[in-house]
Amino acid sequence: MKKLLVVDDEQEICDFLKTFFEERDYEVDTASSGFQALEQVKAVRPHVVLLDVHMPGMDGMKVLKEIKERYPKVKVIMVTAIETQEKIEEAMRLGADNYITKPLSLEYLEKDVQEKIAILSRSAEHEIV
Amino acid sequence: MSLYLRKRRRVLRQSLVGSILFMAGFAVFYVLNMLPDRFFPAVLSAHPAFYVALMTLVCVISYKYTDRVVTQFFKQTIFKKKSFSHITLMNLTEELALILDLKVLSNLIVNTFGEVLKLKSVALIVPSRVRGDFEIASAYGWNVSNYKRTRIPDKAALIELVRKKGGHILLRDRIMHTLSWQDANRLAHDFDSLKANWIIPLWVKDELTGMIAFSSYFPDKSFDESDFHFFREFAMQAAKYVHNALSVRELQAANVELQDIQSHLIQSTKIAAIEQLATGIAHEIHNPLTIISGKAQVLLLKKDKSAMDQQIEDVLKTIVKQTKRAADITRKLLMFSQGSGAPKEPLRLEQILEDTIALVSYQTSLEGIEFVKTIERDMPVFYGNVHELREVFLNLILNAVQSIGSQGTITVEMNYIPHEEIIRIEISDTGEGIDQEHIEKLFNPFFTTRHEAVGLGLFVTKQIVHRYGGSIRVEGSKGRGTLFTVAFPYSEASKPLTSAEHKVSLSLFPEDP
Repeated sequence: MKKLLVVDDEQEICDFLKTFFEERDYEVDTASSGFQALEQVKAVRPHVVLLDVHMPGMDGMKVLKEIKERYPKVKVIMVTAIETQEKIEEAMRLGADNYITKPLSLEYLEKDVQEKIAILSRSAEHEIV
Repeated sequence: MSLYLRKRRRVLRQSLVGSILFMAGFAVFYVLNMLPDRFFPAVLSAHPAFYVALMTLVCVISYKYTDRVVTQFFKQTIFKKKSFSHITLMNLTEELALILDLKVLSNLIVNTFGEVLKLKSVALIVPSRVRGDFEIASAYGWNVSNYKRTRIPDKAALIELVRKKGGHILLRDRIMHTLSWQDANRLAHDFDSLKANWIIPLWVKDELTGMIAFSSYFPDKSFDESDFHFFREFAMQAAKYVHNALSVRELQAANVELQDIQSHLIQSTKIAAIEQLATGIAHEIHNPLTIISGKAQVLLLKKDKSAMDQQIEDVLKTIVKQTKRAADITRKLLMFSQGSGAPKEPLRLEQILEDTIALVSYQTSLEGIEFVKTIERDMPVFYGNVHELREVFLNLILNAVQSIGSQGTITVEMNYIPHEEIIRIEISDTGEGIDQEHIEKLFNPFFTTRHEAVGLGLFVTKQIVHRYGGSIRVEGSKGRGTLFTVAFPYSEASKPLTSAEHKVSLSLFPEDP
């Protein structure tokens, strides 16, 4: 099963992404804050995390850093309302695997997630159930 | 008039010299006559030819000396040469007092000087405002482009000499004789670059406010002590006025600078406010837009779509499309407010313009719109950000395309104007043109005459052009098309050296072994 974690403080966004990906046979968990996200990553070990940059409390950049430090294999796609050159560079430096902006194109997002999963399945250490 | 005067002078002078000589001869004759006969043989003294010869001898010997004395006497008493020219120049100083504009003042000084003294060239040299060297404020008998280019560094031999000599007038020939040849050479170069044989320094207290440099048509023309005395007086007056005019120029420049800074400040405050607003809007609006668009996409991309009505599918597609459009507005606003930090690199403007035209030309060819390009090749390398510059060209070209609609011509011109150091781009169309009342609002944000447009294109364009220190202008009227003129300043100084160029410039000056 391909495991996905959606992190966004907007419940509605989590909801439609969950609906969309579940229809495509993903196991989708959601989190509405940075702390929750880290707990979920620890608990379910998702293959891909869709991570909102701007969240109250612990923001996306910090979460990204934590995830990449503790679980370097987990693929993280940053999602944000605005893109600035500095933010993109910062995210890339911290190890983000992609950076996409809202509003989302679900077709593109699905393709990107599939791509990341494919990369994972190719690497020997990580096994896909 | 002057010819007549000169003749009269000569006649007067010659007759005076003649009578003096005659008197002298007569005196000699008289003295000789007094002497006892034994000094001269009686035969000689009895003969009148002896006396004539003697008088002639005396005349010939003393003519030159007498003439000089008489001339000197005339000059100092009856025919003071200064009369015409000096009076005119003195009147000039009175007029100068009223002039505060440096350009007008210096023009008047050099022209009057040149005309009155019948000189070959005159130049008024003043300290430059920014660079700390000396420049020519105005010149008579010079080629305009020549004098604008001429600069004398503050450390030049000539300036040092002027400072050393204080209020003295410099005579090129006399000074040259007193110097070693190295110094004379350096000085000669400065004199040559000012085309000067004489230099009158203008001092106000201890400050050198300028110099008047001039030369005559005749290399042996000379001025005498009374002239120099007059020049010194004139210099004292003129120096004050030049000093005033310089102060006025300083104040005006400071004023302009202040206004620039102020408007820049207002502008950057505005931009900062828009950035804040746009960032806020982006955050607050993009989330709801994401939800609307996302939910619509979930339905649209449903695996089992058989149950869905065609009408519903169309509606969903519209929802997705329109949410994207709404999001683009904030994105554009953000692009303009954040662009100031965009990385710059050396690039070719003509290439970017060509690429941009190529980008739209397929679509425009379908609508019967044709491009006429006059783009200069081999333009200097420009330093800028590709995305920003493409945005500028694209906005202007799209504006022209939309103005035409279908069937028309877009003329694109780009050239480099060396003497103004600008790169100029002109984009004109044969479209519907603009109402005069709209022209002023054209660059305002959210101003548009079209329903489907957001009205940010030209606004963003103007902001970007200004960011490069450039200008954008629009001309046109209803029914007669529109012309946009963009000018980017180009100067070597604004372009940092690339590493390759840096190496070259270093190797031009190899280190001493």
